[in-house]
Amino acid sequence: MRQQKTKPFPYYVGVHSLEELVTRDSRVCVINILGSESRKVTPVSHEYSNGNIVAGVQYGRKGVLESKRGDIPVFSSIRDVMENDIFFDIGVVYLPPLAVSQAVAELATYNENLKRIVIVTEKVPSRDSRNIRFVCQEAGVDVIGCNCLGVANVWDHVRVGGALAGDHPEEALRKGSIAIHSNSGNFTTTIAEYLRTAGFGLTTAVSSGKDIYIHFALPEFLYAAQNDPRTKAVALYVEPGGYYEKQALDWIKERRFGFNKPIVVCVTGRWKKNIQRACGHAGALAGSGDDAESKEAWFDDYFGVPAFDPRNPVVSKRGVRVASIQHFPEAMRAIFDVIDEEPDFPSSGDLSLKLWISDNWFKLPAELDVPLVTAMPPYDQQIREINKQVGANYLRQNMSDKSGASRMDPRTQVSELHGKSILDLSNYTMEENIYFSLAKVMPDPADLPTINILLNLFFKMDERRMDLVDVARSNDCTPNAYIGSQIALIGDKPLLRKARAATAFLIDMIREFEIDDLTKEFPAELDAYVVTEILTKDPVRKTPISELLLKEIKKCPKKSFPIRVLQHIIKLAESNGLEIRDNYEFYLGGLAISMFWKPMLEKRISRQVVEDAVTYFYIIARIVAYSVIDRKNNAFWRELIDAKVSNLRNSFTENAFTVLFNRKPTETELYEFKALIGLTLTNGPGTLSAKGAKESVSARNHIATAFLGFLTNTGLAHGGNGFEAVGFLLEQFDKSLQDPGDPNHTLNLTKMANQAARQYRDYKKMEKETGELNYKRIPCINHPVFKGNDINIDPREEYIRGEFKNRNIYNVFLDYYHKLVEELFNEGVTKNVFCVNIDAVLAVIILKLVWKDLHEGKMTPEMVQALSFTQFLYGRAVGVAAEIADHRDRGTDMDCRTPQDKVQFVL
Amino acid sequence: MQISGLKYGAQLLDLVEFPYAPFLTADANKEQIQNMLAQHKKLVIKPFFAGGVGKKGKAGLVRIVDNVEDALQAKKELYFATHHYGNKTVTANGVTFEAFVPSEIEVYFSIATSTTHRKPIFTLSPFGGMDIETLPPDKKQVIWIDPFIGLKSFDITNALMDTGCPEKFISPLVQHLPKLWGLYDNYGLTTLEINPVRMMQADNRIIPVACDLKAAFDQDNPAWKRMGLPSTIFQSDITPFEAQINQLRTYQGQSDVLELNPAGSIMPFMFGGGANSAATETLGSSAIFSSDFGGNPPYEKMYDIARIVFKHWLKNASVLLIIGGKANNTDIYITFKGIFDALRDHMAAYGRTPIYTVVGRGGPNLVKGMFYGKDILDTLKLPYKMFGYDTSMIQVLEYAKRIDQWWADKGRKEYEKKKV
Repeated sequence: MRQQKTKPFPYYVGVHSLEELVTRDSRVCVINILGSESRKVTPVSHEYSNGNIVAGVQYGRKGVLESKRGDIPVFSSIRDVMENDIFFDIGVVYLPPLAVSQAVAELATYNENLKRIVIVTEKVPSRDSRNIRFVCQEAGVDVIGCNCLGVANVWDHVRVGGALAGDHPEEALRKGSIAIHSNSGNFTTTIAEYLRTAGFGLTTAVSSGKDIYIHFALPEFLYAAQNDPRTKAVALYVEPGGYYEKQALDWIKERRFGFNKPIVVCVTGRWKKNIQRACGHAGALAGSGDDAESKEAWFDDYFGVPAFDPRNPVVSKRGVRVASIQHFPEAMRAIFDVIDEEPDFPSSGDLSLKLWISDNWFKLPAELDVPLVTAMPPYDQQIREINKQVGANYLRQNMSDKSGASRMDPRTQVSELHGKSILDLSNYTMEENIYFSLAKVMPDPADLPTINILLNLFFKMDERRMDLVDVARSNDCTPNAYIGSQIALIGDKPLLRKARAATAFLIDMIREFEIDDLTKEFPAELDAYVVTEILTKDPVRKTPISELLLKEIKKCPKKSFPIRVLQHIIKLAESNGLEIRDNYEFYLGGLAISMFWKPMLEKRISRQVVEDAVTYFYIIARIVAYSVIDRKNNAFWRELIDAKVSNLRNSFTENAFTVLFNRKPTETELYEFKALIGLTLTNGPGTLSAKGAKESVSARNHIATAFLGFLTNTGLAHGGNGFEAVGFLLEQFDKSLQDPGDPNHTLNLTKMANQAARQYRDYKKMEKETGELNYKRIPCINHPVFKGNDINIDPREEYIRGEFKNRNIYNVFLDYYHKLVEELFNEGVTKNVFCVNIDAVLAVIILKLVWKDLHEGKMTPEMVQALSFTQFLYGRAVGVAAEIADHRDRGTDMDCRTPQDKVQFVL
Repeated sequence: MQISGLKYGAQLLDLVEFPYAPFLTADANKEQIQNMLAQHKKLVIKPFFAGGVGKKGKAGLVRIVDNVEDALQAKKELYFATHHYGNKTVTANGVTFEAFVPSEIEVYFSIATSTTHRKPIFTLSPFGGMDIETLPPDKKQVIWIDPFIGLKSFDITNALMDTGCPEKFISPLVQHLPKLWGLYDNYGLTTLEINPVRMMQADNRIIPVACDLKAAFDQDNPAWKRMGLPSTIFQSDITPFEAQINQLRTYQGQSDVLELNPAGSIMPFMFGGGANSAATETLGSSAIFSSDFGGNPPYEKMYDIARIVFKHWLKNASVLLIIGGKANNTDIYITFKGIFDALRDHMAAYGRTPIYTVVGRGGPNLVKGMFYGKDILDTLKLPYKMFGYDTSMIQVLEYAKRIDQWWADKGRKEYEKKKV
């Protein structure tokens, strides 16, 4: 096939002068304009370039891309753009690599006005790049890229392609007399910044890319630079691989085209001659004759002078090679001296070491000790502002059905919260898990007493509040409903609001005054600030509880600086005869900071979570407090809610147990209870319970209302299989079983299981014979994932069974379940030994815990059901706290709404 | 990604039905070797290297034998032969016993990309069997290929005639060589070299027979996967560290690393192809690896990269270096968050490792990113220096080298003495 040729080249080149490469008259169409990169970069280009982007293509979609210069229309194909009579002469391609050559073919096919294509995409196969060249050579289109950041015409204030010069292009792209051609996109900008320090601006910047094929390569660049009256000198950055530079220099020497402007070039990558695989730029892999040394020699021969030495700056009129990019400014200045030209503007700054941020405690020897400098504007201001910020930050996004807190591993079916499996978490106490769900790490043991105090504190209430719960119960409300009725009333009550404000105040103060572990003395300005902002001469309300918290803070043995700050404020108040305003809430907020400071500084959690910590504690404690089943007869609960402060130091888990079971737990029972809570913490963001909470957050509700979302989204269906298992076991065991935890029981479990298996076999046969295929299944055996082997195991159940064994905990019901799956197989009911699944574990623990009370008549089966449901709510409330915090951190308003095109009308 | 030799080369040639010399692999028994000797009189025994062997091939590691004893002896000598190219040493893992094909001439043929022509080219010479670059220009022809047509018979005929190829060989070569374009073009090859092609007399016909093959693949073109070559043959090209990072390779965000010196002490996170080139050169043997993590990697990818880096190198490293120019598009906050979150999590899991952090970087969200790192390093009680992008990148690199040296000499001990 014959190829187009443009003299003096043996191929097509459509650019005579760099002035023409892109201009203020260029009109651009961006392909894949709504892709993640283009969506951010294109509006900046559009704004910088005087609104020159006339259209975008997003295959299969239409719409607009917003920019400060107005919306850019988006079409579903290039043909669509053309059919709408939109003129453009430059295409910019942002597609994934394997789609690039197709888009280029489409551009060349449909747009006869097309002059250039800029391909930003990296990792385009060499074969596709080759085909792109052939297509565009035939069509008479120049290509810049692939794997480049595009081009800029600084005099015309236009950039086309990628994010050349970043999100503030005017900073690096200052008007001047230098044209840059760089194999590195980043170095295009970096060299421009370096040259600026010596007073040089740009005419043109070309990020050429460094794939094997460089389509707008050095020969045509130098030719166009020569013909550009604005350009006085050229800066090149070159890497090994390819003969583009040799060809350009040879052609100049052969006078194929005239070139007499000076060049400063930096060649790097000597080390690359020893590698066989590209790292970084795909084309920067040398053969035998195109390594860095060879390229250095080509240029040195051309210049006629050795590499630039800043101590003895020798350059020729043709230019000079610099060994490192940092010598660009000096070399260019030396060149301008030789050609008798002035820099474009006064030099500003230099490239010496400028230390912006440093640790301030680890001394370096004098020769390494670099002084801190004030960063250049606007970074100096940013440093001052950001220094005040603390904690993790997340990009906001649609968090519908997504979670940064929980997930379920589809292989193991084990759910995780903050990267820890619920199996692991079932070994921790409820208070530890509450802290963990917010902080993402387990608490420091030194903080456990404080955590318990805060949680237990929120049990305290006026019993009259429970009248409403009684009404709800008498109306057959389920536990989620009667608990929810109370949680709904919490809203954002003053206690929580003030505690949050106190937390925020303390965080701001610590950052503002730059207090940390190394602070020995608090500055006097801080004292003055504290006195003005939170201390008062007016009397404040003091209660036994606020006094207890005060004591707690005063005697806290922790040496962390948040506690020291609190102690300092208290001391300051006392020594000045002043009081702390809203002291109770202040102590709560202060204690929250002392517990959550470390994970916040480690960026594990956001500042918002720390500010809300008291709220979460309050709500979870209240869920437990309101959940009491038989309050009239529950003396433990009554003690927890009364005004006494003596019982605040108990374990919250133990207290929750007493609320639920109306008795103190044994050590074994406490472990079993912890296991129950741990196993029900989460099942991932797809669960109804999590969705309820997340949707409520999405509607921008208070945290308490979001918990209400969780509560309303739970129901009798949640315990389904577990309740059935309890019912099933009650049919199998009678009162003769005294203690389900006694391994020396006299029951013949194998015989019982065999009998049940036979009965079930007969039942199943009869049902089948009568054509009823929807017969009742034995609950809590088999699992859709853990099946198909001769003997099947649910690893979650196996884990808990192992933990029970390690602790010598026996459960006759679990033992029975295992006998049952064996006997079902022996009797031919199942074709292999089914697993006993995790729901069975929950059922057998609950049944064991209530067995005695049930048979003594202290509890009815309905109460067992309510208890079982409530226990589930305890566990899930802890997990849901993490989901709410996560959604508040990451989500956006209304993000859980289902788009209209996804909803269906059903007849 | 390269292969050499007939063991897997034959699999490629089968795809386009290009003839090659019969051969046996290292697991052949005595009887099979004997049978092959009986049929072909001589055998050529070559070591088998997984992956590439560099530009010069396996020169000096080839034996030609005419009896079983010598064949077995050669197998013994060559089975674990070592071969050096560049700064790499590779060890063989097997041999091939190839039938010796008597031939009047040896032909060199290759297809590659030419940056001079900016096109694919083929190189052809009837004086093959030796290094093509040593041949004078009149004995070889370099012809460009139109990729939408492929190898044209008349180009091959003309090239052979111009280089003085005996006429009787021209027709067989013109019949077979064009097939190789199909192999080159359809399976993601960047270079295909068959040297030598020997001209085998079979009854009245002459058949060109490939006696050795080298192929390089474009790792950005997934077409090579269609050949069904076992992935293990490319494993010698990459270290376990590189392999783990490569698994993260997607088109968004670079994840290129090259292990340079496992005994080095600087872990350099380089951003951008230019920084990669300049920093690797400046750091020299202090750098454990060379890298390019630019291209605006998403958080998850940056976190995983850093996690793998720390897992492999943190224990023995002195300096964590983050270096790049003023980023155009890479979000500094996202990349720093990925790196420092991984550092925090690594130290939480494996204990604190004293390390000095040096940063030289610019770009979007720079200060936010630097402060993210600062807060985590402060909680980990690790020292650091962060330079603005108005500092020369090279000076930051040289500073990092000096810190690295001092940390090894005294710094680390002083740090440990402080018991922070």
